[in-house]
Amino acid sequence: MSAGAEPLTTVQSSRSAHRVLAVFAALASSLLLLFLAVPIGKLIGAGGVAGVRQLASDAELRGALALTTVTATAATLLGVLGGTPLAYLLARRDFRGRAVVSAVLDLPLLIPHPVAGIALLLLLGRESALGGALLSAGLRVVGTPLGIVAAMLFVAAPLFISGAREAFARVNPRYEAVARTLGDPPLRAFLRITLPLSQRGLIASAVVMWARAVSEFGAIVVLTYNPKVASVLSYDRFTSFGLREALPVAAVLAVLALIPLTALRTLRGADDGAPQ
Amino acid sequence: MIECRSLSARHGSFQLTDVSFTVPTGQYGVVIGPAGSGKTTLLETIAGIVPAVSGSLRMHGRDVTSIAPEARGLGLVYQHAFLFPHLSVAANIAYGATSAEVSEAVARRFGADALTNRPVRALSGGERQLVALARAFARRPPVILLDEPFSALDPRRRLHVRREVRALHREWELTTLQVTHDFTEAGLLGDVAVLLDGGRALQSGAPDEVFRRPASPYIAEFLGAENVLAGTVRVLEDRAPNWMAGDSLPVAQEHRAIEFTAGPLTLYTVGDFPAGDGHAVIRAEEIVLSLEAPSGSARNRFLGVVSELATLGALTRVTVDVDGVPLVASLTTRSAKELSLMVGLRVTASFKAMAVHLC
Repeated sequence: MSAGAEPLTTVQSSRSAHRVLAVFAALASSLLLLFLAVPIGKLIGAGGVAGVRQLASDAELRGALALTTVTATAATLLGVLGGTPLAYLLARRDFRGRAVVSAVLDLPLLIPHPVAGIALLLLLGRESALGGALLSAGLRVVGTPLGIVAAMLFVAAPLFISGAREAFARVNPRYEAVARTLGDPPLRAFLRITLPLSQRGLIASAVVMWARAVSEFGAIVVLTYNPKVASVLSYDRFTSFGLREALPVAAVLAVLALIPLTALRTLRGADDGAPQ
Repeated sequence: MIECRSLSARHGSFQLTDVSFTVPTGQYGVVIGPAGSGKTTLLETIAGIVPAVSGSLRMHGRDVTSIAPEARGLGLVYQHAFLFPHLSVAANIAYGATSAEVSEAVARRFGADALTNRPVRALSGGERQLVALARAFARRPPVILLDEPFSALDPRRRLHVRREVRALHREWELTTLQVTHDFTEAGLLGDVAVLLDGGRALQSGAPDEVFRRPASPYIAEFLGAENVLAGTVRVLEDRAPNWMAGDSLPVAQEHRAIEFTAGPLTLYTVGDFPAGDGHAVIRAEEIVLSLEAPSGSARNRFLGVVSELATLGALTRVTVDVDGVPLVASLTTRSAKELSLMVGLRVTASFKAMAVHLC
């Protein structure tokens, strides 16, 4: 044995330890993956066909799905409109209070969603100054689709802002700098250069926000129980009629979740290897 | 004209401090300095991308310190090109062009016209650099800022592109400021050289002046001066020798005779330098080697032994050991062969008093 070489027994025991660790890691990962996939698979398997069939006959389910789609889309549009400049600011500018703004944006993701609903109720309820003012202007928020949009926006917009911020941060600011020296004012450089270069990330973030808005329950149920969005309807059917009635509705919602999932996979696939 | 006066800027944790220099209209400035010295930050501050914290910046007589980059009338080429990847090569070149004719003509001059049908992502580093140059020049700005624009090019293409940049600079009477690591390039292109280190401009002036008369031993070494000796300065006389009767004329300070002692070596020079510690810089090409004691006017002559020979094509670098002090001389390989130089050979190294620069 040459000087400095490890004894054979040490090498063998180190290899065995690696093997045990690898087997344990593979087992733990597989169990977690199964835990995540099996319930959804079982749900779709048990109620998917019935749910799709029920779509034809169940007007309430169709209405809830339409309401969910419209309100989630409206919330996403509002989130993109207000969140894009904010995300750009957070990605590009170093300003006083940036950490506070970031913390405020993280808060809705961390608090329990019924608590978010209660907070919104305090802000937008008829007893509040803003809610009262909106009511006198003919805009009732609580118990209307507006309340659903508000709840969705509150819980899902931070996801868009966080993703959009990352998408902007991935675009080297020197592209914009070159555009400025080539005669573009800031807004024009943003629209011609930064926006196209970050668009995949922005769309993916909007899809994540939309998907999160569609799946929201806790905040909506506090703010607007009726009219019912799909998640509230599935809960309502479960508590009122039991698992059998709730199953098709829940399965349709799970199938619907595949749409944003596919969109995300496509966007991420197209984004791979794209130099920024 | 680019005129920086006590310009300071901050980029992340990097600080550009109190930078002052002038590149007159129509002249070619070169910024040289080690990696991380702030060369790119300086260009970005001049371009208005990094805001100046204090000081002033004037271009062609106009104060542009607080003016937006798009209104400064300049072009900027980064070392890594930063071509817009979502646009075609042609669209990149035409992005800020004054006209389609100019953008086509400039693309042709840089050899980027052959690349217009290829996607940006398929271009090599050198090709990207050509397109980036064409894009910046197509705008025909009066000021061009270039950050190591030839670094990605192969030697043959570098020669051609460098010539084109110099030609456009002359034809369009541009004021150009280029960052380079290449001292030869700095000497070839530059009318004005700015030496930057640690975010400060250590010295600026004509490249020859900066290379021959560095302001500090650090600059001398950075610029590749082979012989930088630490020692003591003694002013021999305050006045010129009285070779005519009368002796009443005042003598200019820069003509003082100076003795410089570095270990066993005693050098003679003329100039204006206070007595005390200092450094002597002698460029290798100023040292003449001979087998016998030379009979010329060279004031400094030292007998030594060849300790090292390094041939680099047509040039040979010879290290002569003079009582333990190495003196490096640079001579043509042909001269070295004629002298039959070899390690261990005794030679005389001589140089004129004027070849010694004190700093």
